[in-house]
Amino acid sequence: MRKVYEDRGVEALREVTFEVDAGELVCVVGPSGCGKTTLLRCVAGLLPPTAGSVRVGGVPVTGPPPRMAVVFQEYGRSLFPWMTVRQNVELPLKEKKVPAGRRNELVAGALAAVGLADVADAHPWQLSGGMQQRVAIARAVAYEPQVLLMDEPFAAVDAQTRADLEDLILALWRDLGVTTLFVTHDIDEAVYLGQRVIVLSGSPTVVMEDLKIDLPPERDQLTTRSLPRFADLRGRLYAQIQRARGDR
Amino acid sequence: MNETGRDAARVKAPGEAPGPGRGARAGWAGRVAARVLTVAGVPALLVLAWQVYSSLSENFYVPAPGRVARAFVETWFSERLLDDVLPSLARLLAGYALAAAAGVGLGVAIGLSPRLRAAAEPVLEFFRAIPPPVLVPLIMVLAGIDDGMKVLVIASGCVWPILLNTVEGVRALDEVLSDTCRMYGVRGPSRLRHLVLRGASPQIMAGLRQALSIGIILMVISEMFASSSGLGFTIVLFQRGFEIPEMWSGILLLGLLGYTLALLFRRLERRVLSWHRGRGVDRA
Ligand SMILES: Nc1ncnc2c1ncn2[C@@H]1O[C@H](COP(=O)(O)OP(=O)(O)O)[C@@H](O)[C@H]1O
Ligand SMILES: [Mg+2]
Repeated sequence: MRKVYEDRGVEALREVTFEVDAGELVCVVGPSGCGKTTLLRCVAGLLPPTAGSVRVGGVPVTGPPPRMAVVFQEYGRSLFPWMTVRQNVELPLKEKKVPAGRRNELVAGALAAVGLADVADAHPWQLSGGMQQRVAIARAVAYEPQVLLMDEPFAAVDAQTRADLEDLILALWRDLGVTTLFVTHDIDEAVYLGQRVIVLSGSPTVVMEDLKIDLPPERDQLTTRSLPRFADLRGRLYAQIQRARGDR
Repeated sequence: MNETGRDAARVKAPGEAPGPGRGARAGWAGRVAARVLTVAGVPALLVLAWQVYSSLSENFYVPAPGRVARAFVETWFSERLLDDVLPSLARLLAGYALAAAAGVGLGVAIGLSPRLRAAAEPVLEFFRAIPPPVLVPLIMVLAGIDDGMKVLVIASGCVWPILLNTVEGVRALDEVLSDTCRMYGVRGPSRLRHLVLRGASPQIMAGLRQALSIGIILMVISEMFASSSGLGFTIVLFQRGFEIPEMWSGILLLGLLGYTLALLFRRLERRVLSWHRGRGVDRA
């Protein structure tokens, strides 16, 4: 797939090809400005690729696919300020015509999972950045997607919240079997979360490396991150990213 | 929500109940007194100055405030309330509602479509630049001199700020929110209701506020031309008949009317835009 922003003649993606199996959790890393957000927006059907195509479950994407959820990089701006946290999470379910009883269950479950059950009636702007982020995640989770896209979702939260959210994503992914594409610029995070990590080069952007993360499936912030294999993988990715930067 | 938090904090400390309770009550009385003084102080001074001026100058056209007050009660607490004030108000509301519906409806359509916008914007700016009162003679010719004409005059003056502000508001919608709607299948009427109208509501309300004062002006002016009832008509009638205190009382009534409507509008705005104000405070 290739993407050029015609209006400014910016070539965001030169040639990016990869596959993600159903139920897999794949992380995408790359230097900032290399086109990670562009890639995600193409996969989401929000942007048409200039050449090539995106397929989800074998079906070519021409617009946002029905059972796909996105957590945007600008999560704060993706919440409706005139709705409460609960209403924000509930709206997509109403549009999906989920019956009221089931809807309440899903909303309550999702908010509890991200630890926001007690601020359900607050408005997003009354919450901290990290909490807003969790609202956006809860909304995606309550939607019961088959495919979940996340764009640097933890860039703006503190270290502890970040660790908690990483484990939350892992738990959700394991419990719900959602195919997940997770964009980050943090190599540690990519290794910790992913079953595979795709490294994008700097512009002109191509896939530089598609690395299988052969760590044990049960991940834990302390033990996983101190495994020698973790350090190996991280070192390897780090070198790749350095090269990606240097090539530019 | 912030206030709730503060109240909760206050409730949690009832130990020192009696002392602060009395103190708070005294402070409350003081605050009310201060507020009354702030609100009524300047008007009282103005009335006083008016009284002094009218008693010194003996100007026939400037009657004493007491005389105007009496004229006010005699003139307006009578069948005139039904014959002149209410029809005026009804026409104002009808014209305003018409302008709001047309302005928001067209504004949303133009705001959502770049092509429509490119075609319409210069024309809109041109119409906005025409001072609304000059529409009165024109519409009189086109639509006759009945109620319909007056409603049309009011609507045609009010519609521009509503329309242009709505276009502006719809255009400024956050694209991340817009993408969010696309991803989660929020489209059609639901998108209009949850995203477009709510997102543009700060600008729409600003347009409606500007339109309200234009509407009052046009209500009066439309009644000054070829009319047989209404507030504007009555004021001109008094002026021609040299019933000067009555004329003044009409002006006073208009002032009060405008003030009341603005007050009501502000309450509505607070309710509609509570999320917006709260967010502004948080960011400040
Ligand atoms: N809407 C747009 N129009 C034109 N160029 C864009 C647009 N969005 C992003 N770009 C450009 O495309 C490149 C990739 O951007 P982006 O996908 O946001 O990168 P990343 O998310 O990896 O930081 C950048 O050079 C950026 O300036
Ligand atoms: Mg990005």
